[in-house]
Amino acid sequence: MTLLKAEDITVADGATRILHPVSLYLDSGEPLVILGETGSGKSLLAQALMGTLPGELSARGRVAIGDRLLDAARPEGFRMLWGRDIAVLPQEPWLSLDPLMRADRQVSEAHRLVRGPGAAEARDRTADDFRRLDLTGAGQRYPHELSGGMAQRVAIAAARAGGARIVIADEPTKGLDAARRDGVADLLLAELSRGGGLLVITHDLALARRIGGRLIVLRDGQVVETGPTATVMAAPVQPYTRDLIAADPDNWPARKPVTGGATVLTATGLAAERGGARLFTGLSFDLGEGRIMGVTGPSGCGKSTLGDVMLGLVPAAAGRVEPAPALPRTAFQKLYQDPVAAFPRHRALGRTLADVARRHGQGQDRIGALLPRLGLAPVLLSRRPAAVSGGELQRLALLRLLLVRPKFIFADEPTSRLDPITQKQVIALLCDTSETEGCAVMLVSHDPALVSRTADHVLSLGPAPVDADVTPRDIAAALQ
Amino acid sequence: MTDAVMIPRATDHAVRWTGTLLVAAVLAFALLGPLAVPGDPFAQSLLKALAGPEAGAPLGYDHLGRSIFHRLAHALRLSPAIALAAVLTAGLAGLILGTLAAARGGWTDRVLVTLADALLALPGLLLVLIVLGIVPGTALGFWAGLSLVLWVEFFRLTRAATRDTLASPAVQASRLLGFGPAYVFRTHIWPEIALMMLTTAAFGTATAIMAIAALGFVHVGMRAPTPELGLMMVELLPYWREAPLALLSPVIATFALLLGLTLSAGSRTP
Amino acid sequence: MKTLVTRGIQALMVAVLIGAATFAMMRSLPGDAAYRIAAGRYGYDNVDSAAADAVRDELGLGGPALPAFLTWLGDLLRLDFGTSLVTGQPVIAEIGHQLGASLALAAVAVLLSLLIGPPLGIIAGLRPGGALDRVLLVVSTGLKAVPQFLMALILILVLSVQFRLLPAAGHGEARHFILPALALALGLAAVNARIARDAMARIGAMPFYSFARWKGLSPRQTLLRHGLRNVSVPLLTYLGLQFVTLVEGVVVVEAVFGWPGIGHALVHAIFSRDVPMVQGTALFLGLSFVLINAVIDLVTARIDPRRAA
Repeated sequence: MTLLKAEDITVADGATRILHPVSLYLDSGEPLVILGETGSGKSLLAQALMGTLPGELSARGRVAIGDRLLDAARPEGFRMLWGRDIAVLPQEPWLSLDPLMRADRQVSEAHRLVRGPGAAEARDRTADDFRRLDLTGAGQRYPHELSGGMAQRVAIAAARAGGARIVIADEPTKGLDAARRDGVADLLLAELSRGGGLLVITHDLALARRIGGRLIVLRDGQVVETGPTATVMAAPVQPYTRDLIAADPDNWPARKPVTGGATVLTATGLAAERGGARLFTGLSFDLGEGRIMGVTGPSGCGKSTLGDVMLGLVPAAAGRVEPAPALPRTAFQKLYQDPVAAFPRHRALGRTLADVARRHGQGQDRIGALLPRLGLAPVLLSRRPAAVSGGELQRLALLRLLLVRPKFIFADEPTSRLDPITQKQVIALLCDTSETEGCAVMLVSHDPALVSRTADHVLSLGPAPVDADVTPRDIAAALQ
Repeated sequence: MTDAVMIPRATDHAVRWTGTLLVAAVLAFALLGPLAVPGDPFAQSLLKALAGPEAGAPLGYDHLGRSIFHRLAHALRLSPAIALAAVLTAGLAGLILGTLAAARGGWTDRVLVTLADALLALPGLLLVLIVLGIVPGTALGFWAGLSLVLWVEFFRLTRAATRDTLASPAVQASRLLGFGPAYVFRTHIWPEIALMMLTTAAFGTATAIMAIAALGFVHVGMRAPTPELGLMMVELLPYWREAPLALLSPVIATFALLLGLTLSAGSRTP
Repeated sequence: MKTLVTRGIQALMVAVLIGAATFAMMRSLPGDAAYRIAAGRYGYDNVDSAAADAVRDELGLGGPALPAFLTWLGDLLRLDFGTSLVTGQPVIAEIGHQLGASLALAAVAVLLSLLIGPPLGIIAGLRPGGALDRVLLVVSTGLKAVPQFLMALILILVLSVQFRLLPAAGHGEARHFILPALALALGLAAVNARIARDAMARIGAMPFYSFARWKGLSPRQTLLRHGLRNVSVPLLTYLGLQFVTLVEGVVVVEAVFGWPGIGHALVHAIFSRDVPMVQGTALFLGLSFVLINAVIDLVTARIDPRRAA
């Protein structure tokens, strides 16, 4: 049964068309995945189908939901469907729950006010939802006392309480690690099995693969390829889809192992704490020139803290970090997860780089020589950090490090905010840098595939001692 | 996210410029007016008491027959001069102490924050009044008292922004790259707080001018016969029916000056 | 709990600051202060050097500064404010005497400002950039630039002198409240409205606010169930800070309208250098600020569980 049918949906910003005609249908029981990178228009498509486009954008096209016909140009028409026909699963569940209201009330109010049963029945239904979603006991908690996974389940219960059959999930796995990502996929599929339709918008190939169903690939506001997800993943027809799929770390060729040069850094019996809780203990390893050490583990296990300890930014709780003698302090550098936050935001990038070059006795020509090596256009130097794409900025950050001739780079999830194709480029450049500069790299990633394809040796940190999924540790402890 | 909520940038610029122009116009009157029409703000001529405008006194005369035009120009030099001196002192003190508290942390931070919090609990006018009772000389007392009141806001803003900035990856990166505190201040901290300091300075100047006028109005500020905005208003209030222009002149000038300062601070909330 | 400790330290610091300031004020009284004070108390004809000495000892005016200051602070921390130099009455009694009138005026003004400001601000904040938002921005900016004494002056001129609608001075009847309360309330409301507007606009743009609509709630239900509660937290916090503005306004407006309250008395005390009165009043006002903000801390912690942690 077709639950939703959209024909010739377009989105325009004034006179500029930013989403070209897309038609799609959603059947009961068969998920539909819309896959695309940043700027592909996938979120615009979702917003056009939900009637939530920002005011300055206008949509066109026809949408049929159940027996209702809607005009995409009139977003008000969609509003009465929210909760009743369309359930929207928000991107960041923590931010989508009212911080001042207990979890069960956020679900029961939707039962009571949208479908209108009595208060007692709404409570019963909410209790059913919580039991089914394995949330028993969480009803009395406030959102900040829920783990990310729990918040996601509360949000889906609240979104569907009004009786909606169509679930739209826009980037439901933004910023999640592999284990949590699979959890979200399973949750969505479980909702689908209760009847209704599922539309998932994502840039995440692994999520798309796990959801299955049918796939639409978008690029620059245009449909590139459509077909059953499994078929497209196995045998993409279009060159762009091929590149996209090849950029999935699962499909990367393994890197040739490097036999290291001189030792740069030795760690013995390292341990670190955060808020009084032990994160890791008894870590001993050494890093040689040109070698890449991968670090994996679930969120909150202390990956970033390990880097801070290695760089001497945080004291170790036990053990020692010994840099090779005769190396200056500035030989130990860091590549940040969010490159925008790692540059002075009011200064043109060229000036920042020139400052670094001058500080380390290098000429402007060294910057000029490095730009093409990293595939960067000189015009970028006149811009501020916020006006440059994430991939370019991360490469500029790498360029900045090269100006100081580093011997050790701690790369803290350097590509987790980048699109797959860009991620592949940046990681390749990082590997290349490590080899040509004779620099040891510690590469942190939540993606085990990425680490296993890249690193010479892997350090896997276990889960954090306390339930790492819960934000404020002390609250989790108090509840137990 | 805040950008979507806040006033559009272009409107904000226009508002700031309107305010700056208004302030400039008032100050131009104060500085250039007496040059165009020479006269003495203190000279009395009881025969002309409450008389209307004439060539030598374009705004007429007050109850003692003194030229309102020249008294107003004098008053519009006095309050802004004191206010500006106080804002400069307070701004510098707030900047230095705020940066120090954020950079040093520990006891330095705790002591300064406790002091600032205690001052925050006291109405500014009250502090100014007490300082006026300690420091000899009213103008000096206003400068000292207003500086004492105004530095707190500069301190709090500088400290908060500097703390955030110092904890940012950008500063960590700069330090790893071998840069020292001077570079960090110049490229990271100052650009973050410069505009905020300007906004706070505009609000602070307005607050100071308001305080001087308010205390003058209730007879505990500047003393007669000094021409001061609040004092002029309260002196001329009884003659409202006979000489409305005499009272309206300082009222309008004060409002224009304060409105200009508020607008030049931009559409941010205090 | 931690916030209460912070508030306690703040209260202590307020006391020490006021003690130091008023001590300095006392020491810098012109001429032989003891003689003047004794004269003020007993009349010039009845003052002899013994009376002046007694006053000097009582106030700790003689001798080296440090021991005198410590005695001074000690008295203050024991809440012994001494007696008014002008009336000879205990300062506490004087303050208690004037407090009622000020509280009544302040309460009416705050209530009035809350009736005007936050509702308008919230409606404007629901549609940032809309017509009401723009009008409110212009009006509140204009009002913010009018100091309270000027507002009082304008109200007197327009409503009292020109149209003779309301009395400009006097006390005791309801109609006497209107002008001074309005002079205070308009300025407070201008800023209240901006704070409420910004809070509402910020909360309206948050993901949970849109999500409430996506669940199927109507705009009205969303505002009532998820908007107001969230707006109230920053608004309450701000109202606590606005207390100093209120006090400044009360001081000025009471002086302008001759309202027999604590502010009026303070201006008189300053004028006649009645240091114990200044000290007592200042301390009372400072500690009230701390107390009010401590209560607001507790209330917001109840509304917002994240603050309680």
